[in-house]
Amino acid sequence: MNLRDLWQKPEARFLILFLTILGVSFTFVALRQVNDAFVTPYTAVIAQMSGFVLRIFGEKAAVAGCVVSSPRFAVTIYNGCNGLITSLIFISGVLAFPAKISAKLIGVIGGLLTIQLINLVRIVSLFYIGVFLPQHFNDAHIFVWQSLVIIAGISLWIVWAHKFALPRDSS
Amino acid sequence: MKNATQVFLRRLPLTLIAAIVIWLLLRPAIDTAVAGLAQTLIRSFEYPRVTRLVIEDHRAQMRRTDLRTDSKVPSVSMTEVTFNTIVLLALYLALPRPFSRGQLERLFMGLCVLCLSQSINLLFHVKTLYAMGLGEWSQQNYSDFARNVFGFGRYFTDLPGRFSFPFLIWLGFNWEAIMKMLRVSEDTDGKTVSKRKKKTSKAISS
Repeated sequence: MNLRDLWQKPEARFLILFLTILGVSFTFVALRQVNDAFVTPYTAVIAQMSGFVLRIFGEKAAVAGCVVSSPRFAVTIYNGCNGLITSLIFISGVLAFPAKISAKLIGVIGGLLTIQLINLVRIVSLFYIGVFLPQHFNDAHIFVWQSLVIIAGISLWIVWAHKFALPRDSS
Repeated sequence: MKNATQVFLRRLPLTLIAAIVIWLLLRPAIDTAVAGLAQTLIRSFEYPRVTRLVIEDHRAQMRRTDLRTDSKVPSVSMTEVTFNTIVLLALYLALPRPFSRGQLERLFMGLCVLCLSQSINLLFHVKTLYAMGLGEWSQQNYSDFARNVFGFGRYFTDLPGRFSFPFLIWLGFNWEAIMKMLRVSEDTDGKTVSKRKKKTSKAISS
């Protein structure tokens, strides 16, 4: 099978495009300049938003950089916890799938906002798990919430693809 | 007839809970299989063969036979390496007829590929530690190029890999079923055609 035959297969084409976009975007965000100019400030904004929500719930939360702390508990938001990874995977899935440009735009904007909302719920819930069930914090953080966030991203992609998938011959 | 996508999405929370329970039960076996494969891969390119990966309390301990007995033993959390098995299981179980022979075969193949990706992730963790984390010994035995290769391999198989591989494996092995579920079917010459579009054009012509 040559490359042209492989490209004709929709699943192979999607996987090649998806992996290419994913590889390029992850290489891009790994660059030190991008990390310093975008990823770290972005994570700090997520921390600010989490602190804001916690203050609405009555917590005396203070935010310093990427650390959200209160007298009861503190969490540090790292690169893997800022929703960026899930967002990039979701965007790669949307861009690699055959659909109109306008549909892709809706997918990217809607998906990013929804993933950030889910991530905010995740950070706030992990904060309270840390307060009330600190012995379960690691389990909740690693395999419960990470799985939930990935599943949420995939569900969003499925909903988007179901509504906006295009016939291949018209794409 | 119920919309297949809605059924899938409705099943997903339940299959996620089931997948967490299955993963918790199978965790010791998964840890051993992943660490065993990673150790085999590491030792295949190692001379003399000194690396041993020992699982203890869901952590892979890197025990080199040439380390002093009083040396600290570095370790990697296997929970972080293998948790994405939950995602793959949940996605497979939410598809129609998950216990049919065909689906179980696909699940087995998917789990084997995921296990390989987890082993490669663990391999990069170990090699990155060897190349960067052991002070002067690392400087003497690994070049800058090797440090960059292992560092990049670890970065890419860590978060991007762990998060995206279950989705890619699930999609790759179940492409037709998923396209059918999304109501994007394959016609006879292999072109993807939306059933909704077909229905719309039929309605217009009649």
